[in-house]
Amino acid sequence: MDIRELQGYATFFMTIVFVLVLYWYIVYLYRSEKKGEKDYEKLGNIALDDEIDSKPINSSNPISNDKKERNK
Amino acid sequence: MFHWLEKNPFFFAVGVFLVIAFAGLVEILPNFAEASRPVAGLRPYTVLELAGKEVYKKDNCIACHSQLIRPFKAETDRYGQYSLSGEYAYDRPFLWGSKRTGPDLHRVGNYRTTDWHENHMWEPTSVVPGSIMPAYKHQFTNTADIATAYAEAVTVKNVFHVPYGDDIKAGEKAFDAYKPKILAEAKKVADQMKNKDVKDMVAAGKVPEVVALISYLNSLGRSRYEANKVK
Amino acid sequence: MQSNAALEYDYTIAKLYTYTAILFGFVGMLIGTLIAAQLAFPDLNYLLGEYGTFSRLRPLHTNVVIYGFTVSGIFATFYYSAQRVLKVSMAESKFIMFVGKLQFFLYLIAATAMVITELMGYTQSKEYAQMEWPLDLLIVVIWVLWGVAMFALIGIRREKALYISMWYFIACFLGVAMLYLFNNMAVPTYFTSGGVGSIMHSVSMYSGTNDALVQWWWGHNAVAFVFTVPIVGMIYYFLPKESGQSVYSYKLSLLSFWGLMFVYLWAGSHHLLWSTVPDWMQTMGSIFSVVLILPSWGSAINMLLTMKGEWNQLTENPLIKFMVLASTFYMLSTLEGPIQAIKSVNAIAHFTDWIPGHVHDGVLGWVAFMIMAALFHMAPRMFKREIYSKKLIEAQFWLQTTAVVLYFTSMWIAGITQGMMWRAVDEYGNLMYSFIDTVTVLHPYYAIRALAGVLFVTGFVMFAYNMIKTMTSSRELSEEPQFKSPMA
Repeated sequence: MDIRELQGYATFFMTIVFVLVLYWYIVYLYRSEKKGEKDYEKLGNIALDDEIDSKPINSSNPISNDKKERNK
Repeated sequence: MFHWLEKNPFFFAVGVFLVIAFAGLVEILPNFAEASRPVAGLRPYTVLELAGKEVYKKDNCIACHSQLIRPFKAETDRYGQYSLSGEYAYDRPFLWGSKRTGPDLHRVGNYRTTDWHENHMWEPTSVVPGSIMPAYKHQFTNTADIATAYAEAVTVKNVFHVPYGDDIKAGEKAFDAYKPKILAEAKKVADQMKNKDVKDMVAAGKVPEVVALISYLNSLGRSRYEANKVK
Repeated sequence: MQSNAALEYDYTIAKLYTYTAILFGFVGMLIGTLIAAQLAFPDLNYLLGEYGTFSRLRPLHTNVVIYGFTVSGIFATFYYSAQRVLKVSMAESKFIMFVGKLQFFLYLIAATAMVITELMGYTQSKEYAQMEWPLDLLIVVIWVLWGVAMFALIGIRREKALYISMWYFIACFLGVAMLYLFNNMAVPTYFTSGGVGSIMHSVSMYSGTNDALVQWWWGHNAVAFVFTVPIVGMIYYFLPKESGQSVYSYKLSLLSFWGLMFVYLWAGSHHLLWSTVPDWMQTMGSIFSVVLILPSWGSAINMLLTMKGEWNQLTENPLIKFMVLASTFYMLSTLEGPIQAIKSVNAIAHFTDWIPGHVHDGVLGWVAFMIMAALFHMAPRMFKREIYSKKLIEAQFWLQTTAVVLYFTSMWIAGITQGMMWRAVDEYGNLMYSFIDTVTVLHPYYAIRALAGVLFVTGFVMFAYNMIKTMTSSRELSEEPQFKSPMA
């Protein structure tokens, strides 16, 4: 198989893979919201509530939470 | 399953990189060997022509002139045979341009003469009434940088195996030994010109930019082929 | 930090880049207007001797507006908004502050050197990659420093989720890094020839068709990763913040992001239609350019819908006007681009003035409008003063909108006229026009375009004056505004 042919197959399959991954991602986005695991729309508030001492929308970092406590 | 992608900036960056690098890998890499082969009989640029190419780049002629004839009847009627990939094998960088405020120049050597270029570079409207191209009078007094052009020839010969003769080799001494050939070539062009300053400069062993540029422009087209080399 | 109470966002670097954005914006647009006028009135070519011809100034115009104005705008908005969406101050890390300052210092050196070397004629003659190798190396350092500052800030963030703007800034960083490196691969001739000739000179690693492919893979995606990706990132932060409305659909913004990332890179070869690159690549470029409408419009529509139910703000707040018009121009140019990438349309459009026309409705209407709106939004927060004059912003808005419309309409007509005349044949199949006929016919359109340039620069001067007045003599604010920027 010469490089041209290999290139052709690689393009074709990779494009399909990427498309599938993208659609899978769409399903994932909606499903995880439905199940209540995630709330993506809430993330939009990061831009609105962006004071340095406002509470992070999504914080799992114990250190910064700790700082927050001391801040009060 | 996409959780890690959204949370971890490192994985995210890797993901983005893979997605954007994919197109480049597929489109560009595998074609390299094939597209850089010269067409049969194509000769490399002479050092004087390379110096002219530097002038072409320096005064940025590609802002208004393309060097790419597309395969349409209107273009082949106007400029000559459409361009082939192998004709550009010695062009580093490629000078196709992206805008034709002026006409295409890929085969300008086939239908313009030294004399025409001299008049045109001095005062474009004298040969093309209505032209909006500026005059490039400074090219008649500036000296072309033949040393750098020579260095380019040495580089492409050693690094990219462009078929130059054995007399093109590294070092100041080799350049000094080669210089008379460049000057002789420049004199042939200057002999067909009428500008006094240009003739004086060439006689004094210097190459005006316009001489190098005209030599380059004359090379575009038929005389790029070994068999048709202008003697 | 000893005292958390005193912790504030640190805008030192953002301010510095704001100054350079204003300076380079003015210089770049002024040169642009001059060269536009030169096409209509060739006598203007002789103002600066050999340094003032159209050909010498044209790359200077593109480089100053791209690497001076736009990149300054990107850095300014990044150093401003990244702190805020990550909820971490640059003042918290001496290291990040140092990197930021060093980056700005080197940037200033590189930008100055760029202007000087290009005027002198040192150029690789590859579009938007004119700078010679010593400058390229300096730019790599600057870019790496930006990456260091970016990832260091991300490393110490309090907000764990990365806001969508940050996604776009990261993509900008990675994309430009990859493309710039590959396109500028060159061998300096001084070192390979045993010290003959100029030290500045280099030859490209690629030749002919390959060089063209790599160049337009870069050239097209410089548009993607400098003029689109970070600007989308900007609007995702500044429009919601200025209007107080959160993004219409956050999920849509995520999807358009990945769509854009995947599709954009493929479209590069649409600059090389009907050239000597392999046919399948041209077709690929053409198809993906059309597909590109989807993610682009995804972002643009998302922005417009963010204003749903709040359209009254459009009449009350001129900054919203700027941003909404910017998204509209984004939609226009991302529709126009794919149309030009269709092979049969491209046969007429390529090499004509329609192409600069298309570029400018994008860069003037979308990029410049968005950057100016962002800087206006940042000014009251950075300088703690209200914006100097609302009336002036309104006037500037209408002046510049008129300018953009004049620009692209005149270039549409010019481009199509030119494209049709080049291929027009008489009843015997002979070409009807000599080349010069197709040049002289364009004079009125070139004159209109020059006028558009004058209007746009005038608007930019109003912007600069307004900003300077805001920095120095406007009324001081006691506390930071939450959403709408206060203006007198």
